[in-house]
Parts: sequence; structure tokens; C-alpha cells
Amino acid sequence: MVAFILRRLLISIGVFFVATFLMYVLVANAGDPLEDLYNISDPGDRAARIAARTQIMQLDTPVVVRYVHWLGDLLGYLWGAGSLGVNRAGQAVAPLLGLALSSTLRLVLLSTVLAIVTGVAVGIVSALRQYTSFDYTITFFSFVFYSLPIFWAAVLLKQFGAIAFNDWLGDPVVPLPVFVLLAALGGLFAVSLVGGRTWLLRGASFAGGFLAVAAVLLVLSQTDFLARPSLGPVGVSVLGLAAAVGITALVSGLAARRVLIASLAGAVVGIIIYVATLSVLVDATWPLLLGLFAITLVVAGGVGAGIGGIDRSRAVRAAVLSGAVVAGLGLVDWLMFAWPDYVANSFGRPIATIGSNTPNYTGNLWQTTLDSLTHIVLPSITLVLISFAQYTRYTRSSMLETMNQDYVRTARAKGLTERTVIMRHAFRNALIPVTTLVALDFAAVVGGAVITERIFGWKGMGALFIEGVYTVDPPPVMAFFVVSAAAVLLLNIVADIVYAYLDPRIRLS
Amino acid sequence: MSAATPAPGAPAAEAPVLQVENLTVAFPTEDGVVRAVRGMNYAVAPREVLGIVGESGSGKSVSSMAVMGLLPRSAQITGRILFRGEDVLSMSPRQQRGLRGRRVSMIFQDPMTAMNPVYTVGDQLAEAVRSHSAVPQKVALKRAKDMLDLVGIPQAEARLRAYPHEFSGGMRQRAMIAMAIINDPDVIIADEPTTALDVTVQAQVLDTLMSVKDAVDAAIVFITHDLGVIAQVADRVLVMYAGKPVEIGTTTEVFSKPLMPYTAGLLGSTPSAEGTRAGERLRPISGAPPSLISLPQGCPFGPRCPLVRDDCRASEPELRHRGATGAALAGVAAGAPLPVVSPNHLAACHHSDELLAAADATRFFRAESEVTS
Amino acid sequence: MTTTDPRTTAGEPGGPGAAGDSGDASGLSVVALSQGQLVRRRFFRHRGALAGMAVLLFVIVLAFSSIGFAGIPGWWHYSFTQPTPIENGGRPTLDVVPWLDGDGLAWGDHPFGQDNIGVDYFALTMRGAQRSLIIAFMVGVVATIIGTLIGALAGYFRGWADSLLMRVTDVFITIPVIVIGAVLGRRFGALPIALFGAILGVLLWTSLARLVRGSFLSLREKEFVEAARAMGASSSRIIFKHILPNSLGVIIVAATLVIAVAILTESALSYLGLGVRAPETSLGLLISDYESAFTTRPWLFWWPGLFIVLIALSVNFIGDGLRDAFDPRQARVRS
Repeated sequence: MVAFILRRLLISIGVFFVATFLMYVLVANAGDPLEDLYNISDPGDRAARIAARTQIMQLDTPVVVRYVHWLGDLLGYLWGAGSLGVNRAGQAVAPLLGLALSSTLRLVLLSTVLAIVTGVAVGIVSALRQYTSFDYTITFFSFVFYSLPIFWAAVLLKQFGAIAFNDWLGDPVVPLPVFVLLAALGGLFAVSLVGGRTWLLRGASFAGGFLAVAAVLLVLSQTDFLARPSLGPVGVSVLGLAAAVGITALVSGLAARRVLIASLAGAVVGIIIYVATLSVLVDATWPLLLGLFAITLVVAGGVGAGIGGIDRSRAVRAAVLSGAVVAGLGLVDWLMFAWPDYVANSFGRPIATIGSNTPNYTGNLWQTTLDSLTHIVLPSITLVLISFAQYTRYTRSSMLETMNQDYVRTARAKGLTERTVIMRHAFRNALIPVTTLVALDFAAVVGGAVITERIFGWKGMGALFIEGVYTVDPPPVMAFFVVSAAAVLLLNIVADIVYAYLDPRIRLS
Repeated sequence: MSAATPAPGAPAAEAPVLQVENLTVAFPTEDGVVRAVRGMNYAVAPREVLGIVGESGSGKSVSSMAVMGLLPRSAQITGRILFRGEDVLSMSPRQQRGLRGRRVSMIFQDPMTAMNPVYTVGDQLAEAVRSHSAVPQKVALKRAKDMLDLVGIPQAEARLRAYPHEFSGGMRQRAMIAMAIINDPDVIIADEPTTALDVTVQAQVLDTLMSVKDAVDAAIVFITHDLGVIAQVADRVLVMYAGKPVEIGTTTEVFSKPLMPYTAGLLGSTPSAEGTRAGERLRPISGAPPSLISLPQGCPFGPRCPLVRDDCRASEPELRHRGATGAALAGVAAGAPLPVVSPNHLAACHHSDELLAAADATRFFRAESEVTS
Repeated sequence: MTTTDPRTTAGEPGGPGAAGDSGDASGLSVVALSQGQLVRRRFFRHRGALAGMAVLLFVIVLAFSSIGFAGIPGWWHYSFTQPTPIENGGRPTLDVVPWLDGDGLAWGDHPFGQDNIGVDYFALTMRGAQRSLIIAFMVGVVATIIGTLIGALAGYFRGWADSLLMRVTDVFITIPVIVIGAVLGRRFGALPIALFGAILGVLLWTSLARLVRGSFLSLREKEFVEAARAMGASSSRIIFKHILPNSLGVIIVAATLVIAVAILTESALSYLGLGVRAPETSLGLLISDYESAFTTRPWLFWWPGLFIVLIALSVNFIGDGLRDAFDPRQARVRS
């Protein structure tokens, strides 16, 4: 394994140098870096400015030499004492990158994770419901998302997801036609998800979906939930226990009593820790939260192991998952608690359209987190829309192919439940080819981030890149490129390792 | 009809474990409805080996998949499948699942793809145990080890932790046999279990299958297109053509006195165990099996049959006992000994008597092959 | 096995021998369709692909016939360069929804409205669509030629050609298309659009090459290639006569999908100001030019975007239909 990783690392470093060289040469030749200076009318001034820029950008030396210089700067930077070169105004690039790096990586990673989770989940369901209305709907929307120009989608989201939504939040009333429409959509969604074969079952699932959405909307509007959202201990407990049941259904099926009890116990552990810390978490810090999270998982796992009996491994898994879900619910509850203050602070317009943070904003951990979230939500939705389609399509076809494999038939012939056949035998094999897509798609997400950041006014790496390309200035472009290429290569290696983990056939080679 | 009704061709001594009655399977496709099985009937007695022979596409695999409940949801199934007298098709999915892999198990053709590549062999065997009985993993693994020992895999303990790709083809098929017998089933359906294997290991795997069958007291439905294998293992044989059984009887009877030209053709195109007589060629049946979407009028084998007459094109013969009449009686008159057809030897042919009268039934095909070559 | 069993009797495409026996007129009706017939039949059964085909043809005919092309005048009476007096604030006169304060289906004088100086926006959008289509087509042609050539060489000869291709692909994977496109667009965006399209095509061949390589790698081991080699056929003959026709499905599908990617890439680059430049125009550039007018003249933003989605969507659906048609594994059994 170590040898495998080392080999991949060496190849990646080679690829990295070739790619950076290619990129550097291309950027340096992308235009005339002195273009804007030719229009200066005063010949003396013009000559002086041209000379100055030529000197800063080393335009009198060959591109290859400039690249080697830049490499030296890069290595120095990695060593901890370099500038990553200077841009054409003479500013060191490293501090500019430092600011941009964290916000862009946050956006790109969040979008990638969200796209993988939603895309894979929807793709699996779509495959299991092949040729149903759910499948057709998902297929159609995947194609639409895949065909959306990202900048167009971003502008639309900004218009409707932020500006119009903020307006609506000022007086959050759902008009009756919209109310009926949403509820009907909920009903249709339930029908296609259940995939009933008789009209009775279809009618029942439609009514169920319709009423559920209607009830949620009614509760939301009657309790002023949008203005003062909250789950409270009751909400966290109810949702947490329901999640525990759902997790059991996925992990082992509800027939496995011990797993169900373990899963519920895991949720109860989470609830106890959530209630016990209610008074101390107002001034929480991330290390404290992570510590609590770890404690929750360990205790839930221990309880699961104690209860599990002959189903120990599945019981532990269910209990840990339930504990984690409750912890997540607690987090959501705390963020909801901070919401009214945050809305007031943002003058009633919480969903931001510009930047990655409100400048000079101070508040406790919950408020600053909310601030980041309200800024990142729309750009990341834009990016997710694009790669979501890739993941659903790919997962769907991979899952369909796996379901036709002989070993799935063998699993059925053994008398396994359909749940075990799908979750244990088909799902894991279907994931194997999806891992290779992650690395490929990541580059596309980085490219998309360049555009999204521009539309949402983020001072991220995308801005660094575009500015650099406009002005034919390699160092800022290369700063962007070093980070994105390194991230892609690293992700490739991780994907290879995950691949090897999922597929024992390539472990040894 | 009850379970007590003796099935056609069944040795009536003991109540059959598995009975298939008037089974039909159809698949709707873009080109039309494919009638893969058009009325399957057989019964398997305890500990009996029933061979099912036929060309690919004759419906032999599809009918056994129907028995296992492994057909896709689009398949339209009618008829009855009785396991120890209970109709499997009218059971709840949960009851059906309890039967699969527990009372009726299956061995597939291609051992290279029949095991999940990402789990160890031990895991997959233990899973079969634990899906039918609440035992800890350790106990299930112990049982898996015993089964690997039984099918003759050396160092079973260590092999439990190996992945399928670390096994050879023959070993994998042995592991599949181990998986099939791990829950002590009453019936094992073996769908071409040796076809995909190296010739050198085919015999060993066959031996293994037959010896473990005795160890667990199971009956076997052995599906193959290889008559040589049938001759070795089967007590009785059922010949399938175009989705229907066309001949059934004990292996000795069917092999010595085929009553359906298709069977005779199959026998003629198979190298015999004693070696082909000098100067004699193998004689293939000309033509291809009919499309199951639009079958020809009358006997489906008619277009390929050297004995075809007008009555063959008019009506499809049913599977029933075919005694000596007509030409055969003429043979008797000429002083030839009367061939006795056992009551359990059934065939679907209007002209069985001609085959019966012939000294070597396969000669009908010889004549044709000499003409074409 | 269960699902393939019925199909084997329905005639496997290209199954050796299956066709030979069926000529017998004795009631055997094994339907033996040629590969081309099967593909065509499956494609025309794919409703999404048919709709995509119809929409794409409509857009192409509309874009080229309305305002004319290459000196040939079109039937639309406004030019995409000359402003006319602004009527009704430049609002679109197209009306298709009779029940919302309209008069029913009406084309009107300026169906898509006018831009802020009075140029007819229908003419402008058609011009943009024309340009974008040309670029996408050029990208498709160039990428397909390069990708097929390199993929075929790498897949057939393996060895150094193959490792070179794989290393080049490795490098290209690390560079987002938009990023290298932006750099090239900065340099070549002002060139004539067909040439610019060709240059973008040089970027987008890698995915195609990898697919063609995979197809060649598996086909070169097939018996008919062995046979051709045994008969002493030259490498070029084997590649062009024996393998290439069998890879055609892979190539056509990949080429279609490259065109969809090209439409989106071009419009994104033009939006960033790093693609097509004024006085030339394209759908992406139109959106970029009028983005700030979203609140006052939203139609200037809607129309070009709608056309990009329409083109990309229909091309993607056609690609999906072609993939289904060429990939017999996906033959569906209706439930």
C-alpha cells in the first residue's frame, strides 16, 4: 500500500511540473502584457512605464528562465519563506493567495461533497426505480442541469434565490396557489418514490405526500417558524429517534430487533449529550464541538456494541450513525437559535449576494457560521447543480449494470432480503467506478468556481486567476493553478486509494 | 389437483420434493412477447438426479430461474411450482425467500462472475448461513469452513479469508457448491455447472457435486446441453425444445431408444463415451432453433426434422406415452422383437413409432448430413 | 442470464452465424437485422433523442434562415447591427399565452424585444446562436479528428504512443477546461470564430481519445482482427477497415457530447470576456453584455440563455439516444 501511494505521488509530482510548465508558457503568451501602456500619450512616461513593467515582469528574459525563477519562488513558498513571485504591480502574490485560498477551498469542497452525496443517492434510487416517473423526472432534470450554462444559472439564482427570497422573507406568506402547488408536488414525489403498482397505493402515497407537505407548510406559517426557527429538545428528540428507525431500516432492516434497539440507544446518547450541554454551548468553540461530537460517537458505539449481540457490527454502525445524526440536529438547532439575531443584523436580508463573508462581522461561533452559510449557499448550489447531474447519471448507469451482474443473482439465490442484496452487494460495487468520477469532476467544479465567484463577488482564487489572465500576468494565475492542480492530483490519489479499498482485486497490483 | 397427483414421468414410489406443472414464462420485449417456457412439467423425487437437456434458448435456464424466483419482474409466469406440495408462486415474498438458498439452492454456470468480487469467500458463505438462521458470525464461519472441507478445498481455514479472484475457476465452482449445500437443501438446481470450466477439472467438480449430494441427501436438477454429462450423472432425463419438454424418461431408456427425432439428433451429434466408430462422423442437426416470438405452425421442430410430414405441420404433438403402432408393428410382423416402451417414457412426436422401429435412430440424421456434405 | 436468454433468440446484432441459417424459408424466423438497422430502430424509439433532434434542427434552421448567412439574405426584416426606434421600452412583442392579458399567439414587430439602443433582439439572438453553433461544430470536428486519431494509435499500437497519451491525459485532467480555455481565449478570441472554434477543439479531444482508445484496446483482441492479421493485412488496413467501423458508435456518441460541452464552454468563456469579442457576437457574449440590465430589461438576459440551454439540452438528448442505440447491453425489457 505504501509503495502504491509513493508511486502515485511520484507520478503526480511529475505531472504537476509538466502541467505548471505548460500553463506558465501559455499564460505568458496569452497576449501582450504591455498592451495597456501603448496608449499613454506622453512618450517619456510611456517609455518609463514600459521599462518598469518589463523589469518587474522580467519580460527581457526567455519564458523558460522566467518559469525556472517562478519554480524557485514556489519551492521557497512551500519551504515557508517565499513570495510566490510578484504580480505586475510588484505586489507579492503569496499574501493575496492566502486570503483567497480558504474561501475558495471551502466553496469547492462543500459543493463537491454535497454533489457526491445527493447525486449518488438520487442515482441509486433512480436506478432502483428504472423506467418509473421518478426515474424519468430525474433523468430529465439531470439533462437540464447538465445543459445549464453555469453563469446563467448563477445569475438566476442570485435574482430569485437571494433578492426575491429576501423580499419574501420580509412578509413570509405562502399564497394559496403556491401552497396547493407545493403540496401537490409533494404528493407526486411520494407517488414516484414509493413506486406503487396499484391505483390504491398510488392514491394513498399521493395523499400522504400532499398532507405531509401541507402540514409542514401550515406549521411553518402558523408558528412564525421562518422568523424564529427552532427545533428545541422535543424536535431534536423526535427527529433523532425517527432517524434512528430509518437508519436501522437501511443498515439491517427493522426485523433485526437488537440493531433497532442499539440504533435508538445511539440516538438517546446523542439527545442526552445535547440536553446536558444546552447551557454551555452559547460560547462554543470548534474544538469543543468536535470533542463533544467524538464523545457522542464513542459512547453511542460502545452502547451499540453492548446491545448488539450476534449482530454486533451492524448494531455499532447503526448506533454511531444515529448518534451522528442527532449531533447534526443539535447543530442545526443552535444555528436556528442564532437566526433571528443574524437576520436583524443583516437588515432583514440574510441571503447574501456579494462576497464570502460580511466584512468586519463579529459575533459568536453560531453567528459567524450562519454568516458563512448565508454567503456560501447560493454559489455552492450553482456548483452542485452542474456536477449533481454527472453523479446521478453515472451512479444510475453503474448501479443498473451492477444489478445485472451474476453475483447479485447469486445473492438473491442465497435467499438474502432485497435490502441486503442492494445495500451490501450492489451498492458497494456500483460505487467503485464512481470514485474515478470524483477526481475528474473536481477539476470541473474548480473551473465552475472561477465563474461563480465572479458572479457572487467573492475575492477568491477565481478573481486572482481572471485578473491575471486579463493582464497576461503569470504569477497570480500560477498561484491559482498550483492550488487547483495540487488539489486535483491529491484527490486523484485519494480516489485511487478509495478504489483499492472498495475493490480487493487491485489491492496487490 | 393436489400434491398427491402423480406427475407425468415420475417414479411414483416417493412423494416428489419438487413438481413443476404447466409452467409458462413470457417476456414482453420490443420485438414482441418472447414465450420462453410454454408448458413445463416435471417432478423430482427425493435424492433423484433429473437432467434437463436442450439447446441455448430452449427455456431450460428460464424455467429453473422461475423455480428459484429469480426472474425479472417483467416476466409473466403461469402454472404451478410445488415444493413438497406447496405452491411456491402463491407464497408471500417472505416465504419464498425462506425457501431460496435454504430448501432449494442453485449453482450457476460461470463461477468467475457468480461470486461478489469485493467480499471474502468466507463472508459470502457465512452470509448464506446467517440469512436463514440467527447464529453469530463465528458459528457461520465454522460451518463455512466445514463445507469447504467437504467440497475438497485444501486449507479451508485460510481460504475463508481469500477473495474470489484468488481462487481458480474449479475452486470457485467448488466454493459455489459449498454455498449451495451450506443450509442442507432438499433440491439443488445446477445450471450448466461445468460448462465454463476447464475440461480437466470438469470431471473433478462433477464428482464433488455428486458426492456432496449424497452427503446432504439432496435431489439435483441438472441443466446442461452436454449429453455426455447427463449419461454420467442423471437418473432421468428431460429433453427441452422451444420452451417445452419433448421427451422424458430414465436416462437409459431415452439414450437407448429415443422417441423424438430431436433427441435422436442430439445423440447423433454427441461423441459417445465408447468413442465414435471408425469412419463415422458426428452429425449436427441442421438449421437453428425457432424464434420464440413467432413459432412455426405445428411441431416446432418440424422445420429441422428429417421425418417431417404434413400432420407435423398441422398440429403440435403433445407429450405422452408413445407405444408401438403402425410401422413398428409391421416390424413385429417381419419377425423383429417388439420394443417395449416403459410407461414413464414420454415423448412429443407424431412419428415416434418410426424411431422405435429403427435399429439406430440417429441414422435419420446421418442420411441428411451425407446429403449436405 | 435470465434477461439475455430471450434476446439471444431475437437475433444478437452481429452474432456470427446467426444470420447465415435464417435464410432457410422453412418457417424459421430468426430476425437478423443489420447493425445499422438495429441502431436506427433503437434511436428512433428514444423519444428524448427524437425531440432533441427536432429542436436542434429547428434552432439551426431558424438561426441560419432568419437573418441569412454568408451574404445570403434571410427572411427577417431587421438587421442585427442597425438600431431602430425603440418601441414600448423595447419589450418583447412575442405572445404565446392568450389567458394572461395577451391576444393569443402573436409574433409582433420585435418578438424578442430590442436592446438598449434599439437593435432588434431577435436578430441579435439569431446571430449569436449562429456563431455559437459554428464554434461548437468546429470544436466537434477538430476534437473528433484529433481524438480519434490519437485514441486509435494509442489503442492499437499501445507501447509508447499509449503511455504518451495517458500522460498527456493526466496533465489535462489537472487543468480545468475553463482555465486553459480562458488562457487560449485571451490569445485567440479575436480571431475569426471558425478558427477560434478549431483552437478550442484542440483542448477538448482528451475525453474522446480515451474512449476511442478503450474501444480499440478491446477490439484489437477480437477474432476478426486476428483473422485479418493472419491474412497479412497491413496495420492501416486493420485500423481503418476492421476496427474503426466497429468503434464508430463510441466515436459518434463522444463527438455529440463534445459538441454539448463546447457550446457551454464557449458561452462561459465569452461571458468572462475571454472568448468571442465584439464586433463578433455569441450567445455567451450577449448574456455578458446585458447581465446588468437584468432588473430593467430581463428579456435581454432570458433569450440568449434560453437558446444555450435549448441547444445544449437537445444535443445531450441526442447523445443519450445514440448511446442507447449503439449499446445493445441497454436494450430494454418493458415491464
